[in-house]
Amino acid sequence: MPKILIPTPLRQYAGGAKEVEVAGATVGEALAELMTGHESLRKHLYSDEGRLRSFVNVYLNDEDIRFLDREATAVGEGDTLSIVPSIAGGRGA
Amino acid sequence: MLTITPEAWRTMVAHAREAYPRECCGVLLGTLAGEDERTATVAVACRNAYEGERRDRFVIDPSDQLAAQKRARAEDLEVLGFFHSHPDEEAYFSATDLAHSWPWYSNVVLSVRGGALAGAACFRADEARTRAEPEGLAYPVE
Repeated sequence: MPKILIPTPLRQYAGGAKEVEVAGATVGEALAELMTGHESLRKHLYSDEGRLRSFVNVYLNDEDIRFLDREATAVGEGDTLSIVPSIAGGRGA
Repeated sequence: MLTITPEAWRTMVAHAREAYPRECCGVLLGTLAGEDERTATVAVACRNAYEGERRDRFVIDPSDQLAAQKRARAEDLEVLGFFHSHPDEEAYFSATDLAHSWPWYSNVVLSVRGGALAGAACFRADEARTRAEPEGLAYPVE
């Protein structure tokens, strides 16, 4: 089963877990499994339109899923999914 | 309260000065005592991946950030937050900083004027990213 690594601000919505092993054959299925039982996670990861939020990056091992097959990317035993907060800013408007 | 160790502070200041007059950015790793006593023991300098004028914008390169997250796990540290610089500007948390921040994390802003450190401050955003509160910051005096 793939493993999902959860960044600190989201752990409070996932029962305090740093990482969770989930079922699922794709990235989307694995994230859905993670959110099952942790509904408050959904609003942090997905927009109301059901899209992964722009400030959430998801990596399958060392690859950004946007450069793979996004949420349809296949996952399997031994894979690690990392949720990486997108951090930006600057003094400019 | 965020306390930054001398080694981490040196990395942050060096990165801010190297990047000047562009904005630098990076990740802060360290330890937590409760929710509010944070000690940053490692600063990881990251690439500014903003695809435009980097004098007044930054995006932390996500692959550098992933590497910092991995390092945190390997060394049993927490990702406590992030740092970036404001070249020739005060160390405040701008509307752009707030809009692209995450709650919980400590965000250190370094003011760099003429290539030299001119000040530093720390902020935390609320859940809705509509407000940021100053957070106490302790760093070594050079």
